[in-house]
Amino acid sequence: MEKLRGIVPYYPIKKAKPTTPTHLVCYLLLKSVKRQNTNLKPHPSSLFQKLSVLYLMGNSIVEALNVRVEGSGQKFLVLAHGFGTDQSVWKGILPSFTPYYRVILYDLVCAGSVNPDYFDFQRYTTLDSYVDDLLNILDALGVDRCAYVGHSVSAMIGILASIRRPELFTKLILVGASPRFLNDVDYHGGFELGEIEKVLYAMEINYDSWVHGFAPLAVGADVPDAVREFSRTLFNMRPDISLFVSRSIFNSDLRGVLGFVKVPCCIFQTMKDVSIPNSVATYLRDHLGGHNTVELLDTEGHLPHLSAPALMAAKLHRALSR
Amino acid sequence: MPTPVSAARQCLTEEAARALEDAVAVARRRSHAQTTSLHAVSALLALPSSTLREACARTRTGAYSPRLQFRALELSVGVSLDRLPSSSKALDEPPVSNSLMAAIKRSQANQRRHPESFHLHHQIVHGQQQTTSLLKVELKHFILSILDDPIVSRVLGEAGFRSCDLKLAIIHPPVSRFSRTRFPPVFLCNLTDSDPGRRSFSLEVSGDENSKRIGQVLLKKSGKNPLLVGVCANDALRSFTECINKGKGSALPSELAGLCVINAEKEISGFVNGVVSEDKMGSKFKELGNAVEQSSGPGIIVNFGDLKELIEDGASGDAVGFVVSQLTRLLVLNCEKLWLMGAAGTYETYLKLLGRFPSIEKDWDLHPLPITSMPLKSGLMGSFVPFGGFFSTTSDFQRPFSRINQSFTRCKLCTENYEQEAAVVRKGGSTISVVDQCSEIVPWLRMAELDTGKRVDVAKAKDDPATLNGNILGLQKKWNDICQRLHQAQPKLDISRASSQVPSTQGFHYAANGKEGSSKDSSTSENQYASPSPCMPTELQKVFPLEQNIQLPVASEAESCNFKFSTYSIPHKNLPPNCTSSSSVTSVTTDLGLGTLYASRSSEPDSPELSAHKECLQHISGSISTRVDAVRESTLHQIAYSSSSSGPNMGGRSDLRDFKLLWRFLGDKVCWQDDAICSISKAISRCRSGNGRHCGSSLRGDIWLTFLGPDKVGKKRIASALAEIAFGTRESLISVDLGFQEWVHKPNSIFEQQELECSDTEFRGKTIVDYIAGELRKKPHSVVFLQNVDKANNLVQRSLSQAIRLGKFADSYGREISISNMIFVVTSMITKHNRTSLSSKELVEFPEERILKAKGYQMQILTEYAAGDASISNGMNVRVTPQKGVSNPSSVNKRKLTETCDSLTQDETFEMQKRVQMSRSYLDLNLPVDDLSENVDNGDSDSDSIRTNTEAWLEEFLEQVTEKVVFKPFNFDAHAGKILKDISLQFQRTFGSDAMLEIDYEVMVQLLAAAWLSDRSKAVEEWVEQVLCRSFAEARQKYNLSARSVMKLVTCEGCFVEGKPPGMCLPARINLK
Repeated sequence: MEKLRGIVPYYPIKKAKPTTPTHLVCYLLLKSVKRQNTNLKPHPSSLFQKLSVLYLMGNSIVEALNVRVEGSGQKFLVLAHGFGTDQSVWKGILPSFTPYYRVILYDLVCAGSVNPDYFDFQRYTTLDSYVDDLLNILDALGVDRCAYVGHSVSAMIGILASIRRPELFTKLILVGASPRFLNDVDYHGGFELGEIEKVLYAMEINYDSWVHGFAPLAVGADVPDAVREFSRTLFNMRPDISLFVSRSIFNSDLRGVLGFVKVPCCIFQTMKDVSIPNSVATYLRDHLGGHNTVELLDTEGHLPHLSAPALMAAKLHRALSR
Repeated sequence: MPTPVSAARQCLTEEAARALEDAVAVARRRSHAQTTSLHAVSALLALPSSTLREACARTRTGAYSPRLQFRALELSVGVSLDRLPSSSKALDEPPVSNSLMAAIKRSQANQRRHPESFHLHHQIVHGQQQTTSLLKVELKHFILSILDDPIVSRVLGEAGFRSCDLKLAIIHPPVSRFSRTRFPPVFLCNLTDSDPGRRSFSLEVSGDENSKRIGQVLLKKSGKNPLLVGVCANDALRSFTECINKGKGSALPSELAGLCVINAEKEISGFVNGVVSEDKMGSKFKELGNAVEQSSGPGIIVNFGDLKELIEDGASGDAVGFVVSQLTRLLVLNCEKLWLMGAAGTYETYLKLLGRFPSIEKDWDLHPLPITSMPLKSGLMGSFVPFGGFFSTTSDFQRPFSRINQSFTRCKLCTENYEQEAAVVRKGGSTISVVDQCSEIVPWLRMAELDTGKRVDVAKAKDDPATLNGNILGLQKKWNDICQRLHQAQPKLDISRASSQVPSTQGFHYAANGKEGSSKDSSTSENQYASPSPCMPTELQKVFPLEQNIQLPVASEAESCNFKFSTYSIPHKNLPPNCTSSSSVTSVTTDLGLGTLYASRSSEPDSPELSAHKECLQHISGSISTRVDAVRESTLHQIAYSSSSSGPNMGGRSDLRDFKLLWRFLGDKVCWQDDAICSISKAISRCRSGNGRHCGSSLRGDIWLTFLGPDKVGKKRIASALAEIAFGTRESLISVDLGFQEWVHKPNSIFEQQELECSDTEFRGKTIVDYIAGELRKKPHSVVFLQNVDKANNLVQRSLSQAIRLGKFADSYGREISISNMIFVVTSMITKHNRTSLSSKELVEFPEERILKAKGYQMQILTEYAAGDASISNGMNVRVTPQKGVSNPSSVNKRKLTETCDSLTQDETFEMQKRVQMSRSYLDLNLPVDDLSENVDNGDSDSDSIRTNTEAWLEEFLEQVTEKVVFKPFNFDAHAGKILKDISLQFQRTFGSDAMLEIDYEVMVQLLAAAWLSDRSKAVEEWVEQVLCRSFAEARQKYNLSARSVMKLVTCEGCFVEGKPPGMCLPARINLK
């Protein structure tokens, strides 16, 4: 029984009839191809391959990354959480969007709420793999246009996704975004390489105490609830994964590619954010290729959606309607 | 009625029935009368591998170590079980309690709603038994609904678990459990094999993500030539070429195996910089052409290197053109077997190339590939070795125990827990009354309600011993029961103490109640003081009720029915432990409780019970008793109310029915809103005398009022007066400004100091709804004052609609709080006739908005020689200088708005803009274009629809309220005139009729604000008489005044009032120069 229950969700073909038109097409195609030519070794780039990828992905990735679609409305809105949190971080502002949008929530593969077995240390070395996941989710849900709200690492993911598929996004809202955390000759990212090494070392040595130090620092504002919540989600992450992810985040550098973004972006920046100096918001505004605005939030910390959800929701509504 | 275990078992699947049996066994072992959800939880936790335990393990908050947290959970479950009453005779199978049965019923319903899981389950577990008509509850659903039980969630909450988290964890079983049978999700990378059943990616894949991505581009039909863009692009390019040329082809897709890279970057960069000759360059291109033709594999990649070389200033234009054309030619000739590849540091570089060669993207068939990270081998990723799950088991850190204790000692949590406990008592303890299980009225209060006599069903009246002739014994027994529960709710303060069962005593009943009533008043220390009492010997505790009863009337007399818990401690110290311990004491308590009924019937002021009470009081302390005596004469109902301790409600009730009393009381507080007060009083007395809102057949206790229109201060004051008269103290006012997001912090604002605008720090991290819900939970009897309801966000709107319809306020988690007996006051500046609140205020010299911005400046008197013609007008030699920047104070307001923008402080400017946004009726060209476009341009956009939604909601909401009250604006201009006249009088008295006084507009605003805010109607007049008059006298002595001199009363900018008389926001003295 156990075995059956474990497998069923991953054999959608056996389990259930396809539900959406896309699935139906894939399903039929898959069947017909199989019938016609069982010896055919599919060329990786063939239509068959693509469709089957999509079909299989459609169920598994949606399930693996806990994708949820909530609310009623014409437009899609993706809420993508950042490092150290999971989709629950949006719960404060979600209710104010469900009446107007179909809100797509998902967990990054590094989140604590995702089975750590899915985290492939080979694959998630760059943000591009995360972008793949995001785009696959949107494809699986049949989304053709959406607004995107991304926090920290997800903001970077959103930028890259919009470069790859500009037609998919109507607007990017980048919360606590930074193209590069390390300082450079003519760029102030807020961190020196040595500092980062120290931080990563601290993480490696004692994850527990690192979290206790980092969570209040990141939340910034004096909101014990938010600190507790952030600590919880941070602890949910497996330490090695979170260390790996922070390495890959600090390793990435989006500065060169910002110009490719043609989607209008709105950069949300709080008054004081330990990980992102205000100059970064200006940098983003000046270098992103589309029409950009910077929205200064009258609160502190790296997680305004957790520490000041009401304010954040109001600002988001405004930014989305512009 | 408890359900027999066998009946309950029928509703459960085998697995769940086993859990139930375990629970029954726990109850039997503890010889409890019933099997409750707590027993079930205890049994579930006892199993080492139960679903619940596992869910706990997964959801535990990271703050505590798992071992400690589990220990805490076990402790708190054990303690709660200890608190349950044990039955006299040991039952073989303690029947299933109502709450647990209800949980089973809920899970049945829940399962019916999710048939798919149910069927699936039955296929699996029951096989052929699918035909059973009775829906059997699975263990999972069983646990889920047990977690819904408030007592369970409280117990879990004490140990730091949240039942909603646990539920989530149970609904989503851990994936890792199935990790051996499950497969990782099919991601793009591991789908080279079409069979998803096999793990298709191998760990020996080398080459980094960047190379993989480059390979994917190379595979494409069009746009196959990758141009790596990004800060790390050059590194990625180098690592890719190295990787290929070293023969590690694994970075490439299998179709392209054997591809090789020819580097032309050195030649190209040398050539464009004039180092390499054109001949050499030409030969290189020829070489490339040959290499392509001769290659046997899929072809070659020409690496042209960094684009920067081509577009740099040093590069000669002709040379670059030559390179580009040559490469284009090569590509056209060998399009199947030749790839180009290069890198650009930034998008700008790429853009420059495009600018110089507009067609190059097409000619070269380029695909810009963003590269965002360093290759794996270098940079930060280098030192990393995945240490899969190494840390995950080692987080058992020694944490100071205070951490875990913290949650128990905190007063707030304690009160909250207490309230939850009360809710349980309400449900579990009053099995007789089926009518309103969820009613907020606590059982003993319900007895008091009997005197209304009409709406109480007969069964309750019969069973309830609270009728006048009912036997005291029954009541005592019931109270014993209640108090036992309540009392035992107390030891939560100290978990170690709680674990030892404390015998139930009468005394604590009052302690607990007193705490409820004055939950806000009693400081933490007082609460902590309460905690030791369970340790006292029982005998001493028997004294407690008495003490409590003595003290309460005194306290209630002392300060507006504000019976403070602190008084409780005094006799406790004074009385020797052996003082009194007679059984009569207990009976007196009970009698006092009955006194409530007498009082509210107000027929027998000198009941035997009360005299007995009096006797007892005298017996202990003569002085106190005489005071009580006096109190008894005058405010009999107050004694009753405070002795019943739950009584704010009660006392309030008898008051609130009296229209005249209410009217007079409110009128005293706010003298200028006669009409409004009249209709408020009418509405409330109507509701409280039984003609209020009805919900279905039962009477609803909640009252909803809407205050529309201006006069923020008046509204607030009426609301707090309502709180005072209805619930005893001003503290029972929950005040929330729903428009708080539009606040701008104004330092030293008079209104902020007067707590008319509370700071938003309380809201931080919470949604407003949760904040309100939390306050409601803290103060179940209160006036809820919601300002600016028109600015309520969607969530608040939903909760309010629900609350007004169903009598329950839901927070953002969907938890509901009963709001019966509360008074909700919502305010809005918008009135029905006047949607744009501002338009009515044109031509007013002192608009309310301006007054609201008043600051508590220090004042000073200056003297000047009048330059021009300072004739005395209107027979007054005092005049107000016009507002800065406004030549004529009575000019059109629109104009004033913008002009003040220039001169006033920045926050005001901000506000002005905001106001323009709000009203949308002014198009001000002086304002920044941004704001305008925001307001005007969003024609059919979302925000507009939100706004109209809000309007529609507001209209619908206002339809449902009990009473809509329209407030008049506070007549500032008239007040200003009066104040001026007073000042003029004083001024003339000091300086004679020739001198002139100019009063600054800001000073006037401040005076008006003070008049508006002060409790006494004559406050400003007194200030003028005392402070200002004295200053005038001083000024006359100090300044050498001529006939032409003009006195000026101005504010000291940036200097704020410090020593001000209490209750005033005017300076106690005025500076002279």
